[in-house]
Amino acid sequence: MLIELRNISKTFDTVQANSGISLVVPPASIQGILGENGAGKSTLMKIFSGFTLPDSGDILLDGERAVIHSPADAIRHGIGMLHQDPLDFPPMRLLDDFLLGREGGLFPDRRGAARAFRELAERFGFVLDPEAWVDSLTVGERQQLEIMRLLWIGSHVLILDEPTTGISLPQKEKLFATLKSLASDGMTILFVSHKLEDVEFLCDSVAILRQGRLVGTAKPPYLTKDLVGMMFGREIAFPERKKSPPGASVLSVNGVSLEGARIRIRGVNIQVRAGEVIGLAGMEGSGQSIFLGACAGLTRPVSGAFCLDERDMTGRSHHDFKREGVAYLPAARLERGLVPGLSLSEHFVLSEKKKGFFIDRRRAKKLSQDRIAAYNIKGEPDSPIESLSGGNQQRMLLALLRDPLSLVLVEHPTRGLDIESTVYIWGKLKERCAGGTSIVFISSDLDEILQYSDRVLVFFAGRVSPPIKAEELSVESLGLLIGGKGWEDFERGEADA
Amino acid sequence: MRKINRFILVLFLAAVSTVAFGQSSNFTFGLLMVGPYNDHGWSQANYDATQYVVAKTPGTQMIYLDKVNPADRPGTTASQLAESLVAKGAKLVIFSSDDMSDEAVKFAQAHPDIFVIMSSGDQVWKDGKNAKNIPNMVNIMGRMEYGKMIAGVAAAITTQTGQIAYLGPLANDETRRLASSVYLGAKYAWTKYLNRDISKLKFKVTWIGYWFNIPGVTSDPTQVADDFFNSGYDVVVSGIDTTEAVTEAVKYAAQGKRVWAIPYDYVDAIKEGNAVSLGVPYFNWGPAYVSAIKSAMTGKWTSHFEWNGPDWKNINNPDTSAVGFNRGSVLSKPAAAGVDKFIAELSKGLNLWKGPIVLQDGTTYLKDGVAATDQQIWYLPQLLQGIEGQSVSK
Amino acid sequence: MRDSRGMRAFFQVGGIVFALALTTVVLVASKAPPFAAYLNIALGAFGSWEVFSNVLVSWVPLLLATSGLLLTFTVGLWNIGIEGQITFGAIFATWAMRSLQGGGTDPAFVIMLSILAGALGGILWAMLAGALKTFGGVNEIFGGLGLNFVATAVNLWLIFGPWKRPGIASMSGTVPFDKALWLPTLTAQSRLSPSSIAIAVAGIVLVYVLISGTHFGLRLKAVGRNPRAAYLLGIPTWQYMMTSFAICGAFAGLAGAIQVTAVYHRLIPSISSGYGYLGMMVAMLVNYRAALAAPVALFFAALNVGSIQLPIVLKLDSSLAGVLQGTLVLFVLLAQGAREFFARKGGKR
Repeated sequence: MLIELRNISKTFDTVQANSGISLVVPPASIQGILGENGAGKSTLMKIFSGFTLPDSGDILLDGERAVIHSPADAIRHGIGMLHQDPLDFPPMRLLDDFLLGREGGLFPDRRGAARAFRELAERFGFVLDPEAWVDSLTVGERQQLEIMRLLWIGSHVLILDEPTTGISLPQKEKLFATLKSLASDGMTILFVSHKLEDVEFLCDSVAILRQGRLVGTAKPPYLTKDLVGMMFGREIAFPERKKSPPGASVLSVNGVSLEGARIRIRGVNIQVRAGEVIGLAGMEGSGQSIFLGACAGLTRPVSGAFCLDERDMTGRSHHDFKREGVAYLPAARLERGLVPGLSLSEHFVLSEKKKGFFIDRRRAKKLSQDRIAAYNIKGEPDSPIESLSGGNQQRMLLALLRDPLSLVLVEHPTRGLDIESTVYIWGKLKERCAGGTSIVFISSDLDEILQYSDRVLVFFAGRVSPPIKAEELSVESLGLLIGGKGWEDFERGEADA
Repeated sequence: MRKINRFILVLFLAAVSTVAFGQSSNFTFGLLMVGPYNDHGWSQANYDATQYVVAKTPGTQMIYLDKVNPADRPGTTASQLAESLVAKGAKLVIFSSDDMSDEAVKFAQAHPDIFVIMSSGDQVWKDGKNAKNIPNMVNIMGRMEYGKMIAGVAAAITTQTGQIAYLGPLANDETRRLASSVYLGAKYAWTKYLNRDISKLKFKVTWIGYWFNIPGVTSDPTQVADDFFNSGYDVVVSGIDTTEAVTEAVKYAAQGKRVWAIPYDYVDAIKEGNAVSLGVPYFNWGPAYVSAIKSAMTGKWTSHFEWNGPDWKNINNPDTSAVGFNRGSVLSKPAAAGVDKFIAELSKGLNLWKGPIVLQDGTTYLKDGVAATDQQIWYLPQLLQGIEGQSVSK
Repeated sequence: MRDSRGMRAFFQVGGIVFALALTTVVLVASKAPPFAAYLNIALGAFGSWEVFSNVLVSWVPLLLATSGLLLTFTVGLWNIGIEGQITFGAIFATWAMRSLQGGGTDPAFVIMLSILAGALGGILWAMLAGALKTFGGVNEIFGGLGLNFVATAVNLWLIFGPWKRPGIASMSGTVPFDKALWLPTLTAQSRLSPSSIAIAVAGIVLVYVLISGTHFGLRLKAVGRNPRAAYLLGIPTWQYMMTSFAICGAFAGLAGAIQVTAVYHRLIPSISSGYGYLGMMVAMLVNYRAALAAPVALFFAALNVGSIQLPIVLKLDSSLAGVLQGTLVLFVLLAQGAREFFARKGGKR
């Protein structure tokens, strides 16, 4: 299908999200949409998929003006959108979610759907149980499910909004292969990302957005420097990797076993030292999240002990951990980390120690302005938190951290964030490390794990590796471990010990 | 524009005239009812009586408020509502339910210039336990004991199983004396007309806990009536304000069971279930209201308590009888004959409230041959011996 | 600025207009003159100081119930058990009165203690619903409904059992208290007691300040909108839920106590008068904003009192007021939904 966007403009309150964007995407191609967070990529795609109405502009499909006023209109035109935050219906089984949106009679053909489900899953190598519950899935697995569903309802145009965050390297490779074969079968694919290497590898053409405008397009072979230049209007310098000297033990995990809904983890041992960064690597759902939660007192271990600064904290509540200087930043920022409906300023007040009975509005405003400036957040003290973009929400979570902290636990610190935000967030985290705070984080981005960790724990199907020094790992060796290969050495080591 | 203005003006005048209209008659009286005016029960009996007053007493006009209870009218009190009737010109107010008795007293004392009829109460009964001196108040009650006794006779002659049930509201002096009256009538017919052994007559009272069903709070009267019919009680006499006994009897009769019911309060209550209703003991408040209102109009009002019986010449005479028994078409010939015979005997002076009368706990209430005083009947402390069921609500 | 103040007002007014239109249709369909009906309601509520003081009498407990509910709504709870909490407030207030009556204690002191006892009764009953929710996992709506039934049953049992009046137990309730123990009114003839007005006004002001200006209120909001995030932000969520239950219970108990000490001067079977449910309607209608609660509650009270004129003057069923209240809430909520829908259409990133 030939897609033409003509002069699309959209304004939210005072922000010009899209201004006069025109773009032609030929059929059977993969079009990259590149831009930093808040550049207007998501808005453009939401307009194209009927979730948002443009203030002006036209959409043409195969040369004809298409009226897309709702997601249903978009689906009728064969446009399928995979969102950054997958929109599914948690309390149901995967197969039922899969069946949703499919035209058909009152009684859905579950058997046929189950067959299609298995075929699609096999094609991508997704390990999904059609009878499992959607709310037991990780963000990455939900994205997988959504991709399958969109393919199954027969979309001719596939929009993928940051699809590679949250899935593993092998899955990403499989996905890319599939996208290429889909494109060669005639599918038009819009690939929205801020990840240069993904776009460079995959796309037949790239459109770069900055501050709501289309600032340029590029065709292979791509010059990374040019793309970065167009994205940010300047070049970004990556920080040098610095070794922090090991300090005293902040967190010690002694023979901890945990049980989650679908996973159990045995015998984790690690001493986290002051100023140290520990990366937790593994495919989504391999046990990292539950382990990180347990380090925050959110889950009680079945056996073993957590000690903070020599104090036994096993079985204590999250708030006790918090009092000991532990902070926990969840991946689902709007669902678990922030309170939609409250303003930035109100969040800052909540995060501070209560002073007095009444809220000192002047002080709160001052505090908010200082923090907003210090963390470079694009928002006003009175803006509702949900109006922030993903990167700004993550900055907000960091800005809410109290001082002093002994341990910061972060799930996916930079998921969905552009390079500039990523560099910034890690800059802030590293500042804390320099002050003696330890960091334990989860990431599906192997480069991120290797770039920032001092030591790494690898999770695979409930098994946990001993801590490995990051410099002893490469993307390849780590990728193998995540995929379940090369674990024999650890087991031999355990047997020896 | 001017046309619209004029239209609004006309509407306004129409509205104002309706508002003002209430005050144009020479004697306006007001009625406060606890339930809806068309409830086929207690409230409608009162409402119909006031219509009768207007028909029989020239120069009177009636205004009313129904659903006078805090659940239907949040935050209002009966005395406040009575004041709104007075504001519309009422010179006399009828408080027609026991619910309102305290508010009626409050109102009567605060408005000595307004006449007050407190139906079913004993506030100004000089020989009663709660006597107060309120010159502008009259108490009116019908001697429903007679109606209930007649119901008892009809039930006793009709029952095939020898088991009669009484679906009671909550146990208090009034409901105890009414349930006991049914028993006295039934016992009399059972032993005297049918010549059967009194130990073979089962008579059971179940209190649901209130005058009508409140889910979760009271026993469900539908359930209670079903239990009666399922456990061999084939005649259920209702003492509550709603018609579950009749409704359930109709249901069981449709399944081929031979069961009957006797509703309460309102003359046409049998129409709820003609196929099962043996008859209904009912109140006819009209004549007493006419005489009270006339006395107020002519300046002959005196505070008093009246407890009016049937007109024995014709207990269903709407102009003279305060209590009646409206027979149902299913009342069998022998039962109808028994009822006739019983009414005739009552009119000749038969008194079932006469010793020996023994209370449920075995104490003698009235010695042999001693007739009960009005006070002894009105303030009956327990059910009578021979009745199964609790004398006090659980 | 799509979702502006103007839009909000537009949709709200639209909802009210729709509700009035529907009620008018109902009136016309039942062959009643709509204009006269509205005029009579207005005159019946505002036509004289006397009727208006009756409106205020009804306003006080309604506003108290609404005030309490604003707090539980803020923390994301549907405290439907408020009816039972009002009832228990009334029971405790009556209990205090009965215990202290005639004991030679200063009447003003007895009244004060009895009102405080009422608040205590409401708190206890609300904490029970809260405990069922927090420790028993019983949804507060079901727990609350159950506790409402229990409260009604206990109330009836007391009126017809232990606290029945000498002679005949009566639907009319327990024996009225000595006149000295009635909450003092403006004049001997008036039903309006200035102290009850003061309590209600103080109550709504307190709730307004709590919600809009204090750490406590902000934390309630956070728990109400996202309990998981609130917990991670360090807010002890269930304690805040319990506290809001308790405060709401205190307000409900005060409403019950005022019903007993200022309005009925005794305990009656339906002492809660449905103020709890009505309060929920008011809270929903004002979209949980405390500043609007007082005028809207006054409007509802005016409808209650004014509609008394309908059967008297026009022989109309006065449940019309209920129809109007119900449709108002329905349409204003619908209008809110519509506004949010259009706002979303208009644009959300």
